[in-house]
Amino acid sequence: MEFITQSLVIGLTEHAPLVLAAIGFALLYRLTGLINVAYSETITLGAYFGMWANTTFDLNFYAVLPAAGLMAGLVSVASYLLVFRPARQRGVGVLELIIISFGLSIFLQHGLQFIFGYPVRFYDVPPPDTILVLGVGVSSFRLLALVSVAVLALLLYLFIQRSNLGLKIRALASDEGLAQVSGIRPLVVTVLIWFIAGVAGGLAGAFYGVGSNVAPLLGWRQFLMILMVALVGGSWGLGGVILVGVGTSVALAAMALSFNQVLYAQLVLIAAFVVVLKVRGRQAPETAKV
Amino acid sequence: MNLDWLDAFLITGLFEVVMVIGLGLLLHLQLGLARIANFGVVGFWGIGMYAFGVLYVRVDWPFADPWQFLVCAAFATVVAGLAGLLVGWLIADLDTDGVLVGTLGFATAVQLLATTEDDLTGGARGMGGLGFPYDIGRVKENELLWLVITAVVVAAILFYAWRVHRSPYGRLLIAVGGNEPLTRSLGKSTFRAKLWLFTVTSAAMGLLGAMNGVMVRYLDIGNIGVSVTLAAMVGLVLGGTARVWGAVVGVILTVGLFDIVVQSYLPLPQDWYTQAIPVLREAAFGLTLMVVLLFRPLGLLGDMRRDELMRRLHGR
Repeated sequence: MEFITQSLVIGLTEHAPLVLAAIGFALLYRLTGLINVAYSETITLGAYFGMWANTTFDLNFYAVLPAAGLMAGLVSVASYLLVFRPARQRGVGVLELIIISFGLSIFLQHGLQFIFGYPVRFYDVPPPDTILVLGVGVSSFRLLALVSVAVLALLLYLFIQRSNLGLKIRALASDEGLAQVSGIRPLVVTVLIWFIAGVAGGLAGAFYGVGSNVAPLLGWRQFLMILMVALVGGSWGLGGVILVGVGTSVALAAMALSFNQVLYAQLVLIAAFVVVLKVRGRQAPETAKV
Repeated sequence: MNLDWLDAFLITGLFEVVMVIGLGLLLHLQLGLARIANFGVVGFWGIGMYAFGVLYVRVDWPFADPWQFLVCAAFATVVAGLAGLLVGWLIADLDTDGVLVGTLGFATAVQLLATTEDDLTGGARGMGGLGFPYDIGRVKENELLWLVITAVVVAAILFYAWRVHRSPYGRLLIAVGGNEPLTRSLGKSTFRAKLWLFTVTSAAMGLLGAMNGVMVRYLDIGNIGVSVTLAAMVGLVLGGTARVWGAVVGVILTVGLFDIVVQSYLPLPQDWYTQAIPVLREAAFGLTLMVVLLFRPLGLLGDMRRDELMRRLHGR
């Protein structure tokens, strides 16, 4: 019982940003059909923007969150308008788009080192208090991060599923031609999707950054897990992404506790996700035939 | 032999260029012909390097070099080939998203294993004890000979790629890359063709990894980062994914420019070489990938000869 509660509490509080980042990534993937490797840099940029605002203007961590999300969202939109939209207009294929996003990711990853310097950076925040949750000690920051992520995830989910704009986004994703005939402006809605995804990634980055440190590879190190959660959970919509994200977070914590080594937990999860994709991939052509 | 005129950086730079050309050629077969986007090139290269290193250093062999090297390199090639068979089986019938996850996941798994299994690999501390399978004099002479041997192996890979282009198997791979469902409907086993391709090319990547281990003589997990995959991919894309010589031309213009011209001949401040130049190199490679795919997606050498000929014949 103690093991289960420990896994739940540690998993949910430590890996909460994974869920938020996966929601943003899945939004882009499901609604634009693009696997954007450079999404990892949106996360890193969010962490850097937050750290910069926090240390330069001496602002509270929660006060810098809107700025971090906004800046990451704007960078995400800029990457769409400057790179991916022209690529689509030139008829670049799916595979080449992924390679372009890989190139953009590497460019931003290393470009950031010129802007923010090479050393690892930290947020300037007071030492967190430790709070007991189900008998497990958790830092106040991680607990607040979990609550914030849960609220943001819920808001995003409601926005996509219930709002008028969310309906337009889903309409555009399902049939662009029909959506256009219905009066939906594809460019505005697509820009909105990129902005929301960027905000989600940026906020996740800020939470990752304040939890540990800010480094150019921050987003890249999380990217594979985010990609797998979004691909596997994305088949069941945003709800599926949240469920698989939460499950992954708890499984990571449980295996890290069992193996005493978090890297083994990542290894097992990578293998498990690839097998799930393999099984699903085998089923897909059969349904396509029908 | 007096090699005082030869700069040590030049040998290392040339070795880097030859190594990446080899990886680029193998990636050309996967990406250029069969359209399999292998984002985990470094995983297969790295598993070969570490399998070789572990066997070479940790096992007490009853025979010395060159046999010790040959047995360990053969083992590394087989291990990388088996890894390619397993990963190939997992991804051969998946779409591009699945291939990305499978290959990137494999590269990450190799890096995680190299870190966690530190009893075998040395983990973050690294592992020394590797050396050349011969001794012909000074380090520079040994390195030069190893560069020549590696260049011969890469030339053999180039010949293999050239032969594949002109073989029925190559035409099958091109068909798979062009339209897989159509190829399958014509009775061809696309799964088997992709699996064989992935196994053979991964095995060759593993052999190149083992040869790199000999040159660097010290295995470090920093060596198996994404920059290896990036270098092979940017060289291939710049030269042209569809052409055999694409990787050769592209890698000379990218890795050659940075690792030979910039490292050896540009009069830059000394502290730039440790941090600024490697960072600038990666940023420039990333930018090159984007710009080439946006403005000249077929690279400098363009489309396959047969496609160019068909266009000329049909006036399109």
